[in-house]
Amino acid sequence: MTKYLLKRILRGLISVGIVVGVVMVLIYSCLDRTLIFANDPNYNKQKSNTKNIYQMQQWEKYGYVDYVPYADYLTELLKNGEIDEATYKKVVRIADTPERDSDMAQEYIEKFTEAYKNKGYEVVRLNAEKMGNRYKDGGKPRLYAYRNIPLVNRLGAYLSNLITIDNIHYVKEDIENRGIQFTFFDPVYGGKKFSPAIMGNGTEHKYLLYFDGNFPYIHQNLINFHLGTSYTGRQGVDVVNILGDSQGSYVYSSVTYPTGLVAESADDLHTATYVAGSLENGNAIIKRSFVDDYTNVGTHKNGLSKTGYSFTIGIISVLMSYLIAIPLGITMALKKDKLVDKLGTVYIVFIIAVPSLAYIFLFKSLGGKAGLPTTFDMENPIWLMYVLPIVSLALPAIANLMKWLRRYMIDQMNADYVKFARSGGLSEGEIFSKHILKNAIIPIVHGIPASMLGAMTGAIITERVYVVPGAGNLLTTSINSYDNGAIVGVTLFYALLSVVSVILGDVLMSMMDPRISFVTKER
Amino acid sequence: MADNYINLDDLNMSQEELFAPVKWDELESEKITAPRYSYWHSVFRVFFRKKINAVILILLAAILVFTYVYPIAIGYDSEVDPYINLLNSDTKHLGPAAAMEKFGTNLHWILGSGASGESTFDAVWYGASISVSLALICALINMTIGILVGAVWGFSKKIDMFMTEVYNIVANVPYILLISVVVLIMSASFWSMVFALTVTGWLGIAYFIRTQVIIIRDREYNLASRCLGTPILRIATKNILPFMTSVIVTIAATEIPSYISYEVFLSYIGMGLSDMSLGKLIESAQGAMVTPGWGFEFWSPVAVASIITVVLYVVGQNLGDASDPRTHM
Repeated sequence: MTKYLLKRILRGLISVGIVVGVVMVLIYSCLDRTLIFANDPNYNKQKSNTKNIYQMQQWEKYGYVDYVPYADYLTELLKNGEIDEATYKKVVRIADTPERDSDMAQEYIEKFTEAYKNKGYEVVRLNAEKMGNRYKDGGKPRLYAYRNIPLVNRLGAYLSNLITIDNIHYVKEDIENRGIQFTFFDPVYGGKKFSPAIMGNGTEHKYLLYFDGNFPYIHQNLINFHLGTSYTGRQGVDVVNILGDSQGSYVYSSVTYPTGLVAESADDLHTATYVAGSLENGNAIIKRSFVDDYTNVGTHKNGLSKTGYSFTIGIISVLMSYLIAIPLGITMALKKDKLVDKLGTVYIVFIIAVPSLAYIFLFKSLGGKAGLPTTFDMENPIWLMYVLPIVSLALPAIANLMKWLRRYMIDQMNADYVKFARSGGLSEGEIFSKHILKNAIIPIVHGIPASMLGAMTGAIITERVYVVPGAGNLLTTSINSYDNGAIVGVTLFYALLSVVSVILGDVLMSMMDPRISFVTKER
Repeated sequence: MADNYINLDDLNMSQEELFAPVKWDELESEKITAPRYSYWHSVFRVFFRKKINAVILILLAAILVFTYVYPIAIGYDSEVDPYINLLNSDTKHLGPAAAMEKFGTNLHWILGSGASGESTFDAVWYGASISVSLALICALINMTIGILVGAVWGFSKKIDMFMTEVYNIVANVPYILLISVVVLIMSASFWSMVFALTVTGWLGIAYFIRTQVIIIRDREYNLASRCLGTPILRIATKNILPFMTSVIVTIAATEIPSYISYEVFLSYIGMGLSDMSLGKLIESAQGAMVTPGWGFEFWSPVAVASIITVVLYVVGQNLGDASDPRTHM
């Protein structure tokens, strides 16, 4: 069984990898990449050659191309000591047209062209656009190399960066005291309260392991998951954080900064990460608060995360739907063709056939008339605002479960073994609970992990209609804003959940029913 | 019971008269005296046995007339609606009573007027014609490809291995992403939406059919048929297809309404058609839902979409039940 499961998991992971590849092809190769400028006011302000450059820079930012300006190439040479400052200054200026380049510049331009052509880049030279003797607005000559990032590289880089383990060699710069230290008295709490923590220097995160007052009380930053960076939604933030960071308004508490400064602040010092040179270039507040470059901190907020809200609503509706649908489905099957069954069928037909948008709006207006809050308000959370989203999610789930349970029960009731049991003298109750229900419930059990894990992904329409700040709309908003990194990340998250839930469903089913075995027995 | 017997002597007939030898006819002896069974005849007999089905069929006919004949009959064109009046705000967002008072009692105004003074009734049925056409075409394409591929998929074990992996991958690519990519590449026209909904839509149906085929494929009667040398194609068409008819009709019953729902959903999240379909009408009238007195604009397309889907679903389900030979007794 273990071997079979490992095989299933491995195959699942491979197909998830292919899914990510397919999605990458879809969004990076199939889509017209000029579409990202359709709603970009800056793009239309750019003129002449700078428009082209702006386009390249944006494409690089969105992850479409690898873009190298000539100047960057020279800076690299300067850094490596291949050329000196004087040469750099001389050759970095390119003339209006290639014919008028100085000999020295020409030499380096040729080197640049050759170096990047060999790497598969396209080298582009834009001649100056002039109006009389002066450059047009943005008409300076430009030279750069670019290439479309090949799928294999992109996929490889993405997948290899999915899980990282923080280590003391993360920081490339020269810093003192690289290492890990252990303390019983977490400095965040003023260094007096007993609270063990493992802190690193040279690592990405300052705190690798720490305790705080939030569930599950012990937290780690040692193993980190990355699903890809968002470009437009929340710039530079990883999808994991978009899904998992709490939302709402700041929660202030007394915080002891590394310099000893105590202030009322919402900063969560436990999330501090390294940003090179941030202390030196930082503003007065940063200089007053921090002693090293671990200045990038998150904040404490009072709301749940996107996944948190979706999961809260989702899991309650899943539990409700099983609790309500199973007895109702059983009743329908037992009272087949009676009034209960007919009413149930009408309800099922209504939910299946009517567009979900229509009945969600119907619930919203009915709920609004009954005095329930119809929109979600993170600032003044009350329990009642959860009611309508939960009901809207639960009702279709109930209909679906009822439909299948009724079908399976009726199929079992007509089976030969039930007639045999009856002729053998078993009581109806016994036949029902020990035989029919036990067999009919197995396919229902298979769907439990999927519905539980599915609660995390959120619901698109429900969350939109009731303005729930959940995860359901992340994919659609990412698609609308061409947030390629987030699209890939969210897709991976969904695909992983679905693969895991199918495997868990199979395991659960084989636990419920000993006849089901996924291993071929040796005969 | 003795009364039922007849004493032959009472008939006063000779032996020859009573018993005449019948000529042995080989052809005649092969004839089956049971009443002739016609599959489709029985389907309709069972279908119309339920009185409700006749009512629903009439409803369906009425809906089809309104969706397809009515817009043509009044020469409706969403671009040049004769009642669109951008300047006169008196004619906009009217309830049915107010609109009929203004324009006279007329079929056009029984649902009031919309955001630019157009007749909601006309707009809704024009929208319905787009949505229903989309659903019918998508269902036709997906069902045809799905059934053909599903049959082959179920029969061949080699193809099964390959297709299952394909299915695992494609099913995990978010459908919304695929649709929006297709729509962005090809524009949001009717036919690109058809393409978007069918490019992978058949896979789910094929998977369902494949499972059904696998269940029936190895039944004893098929095994016997194969032992007797029946070609695979004949097994597929004569032994398995009749079993699948009710399944196929049931799928069609759920598929067609689901495309209408899906179109409404896509329009609502801003990825739908550019034509004024039902979904687009609902989306653009969303603001009217919360404004007192404007409710008709919003609820009319919602109600019409719901009625169409429910009727199509019920007709399909009942037809599916009737096409199951086990109900023909």
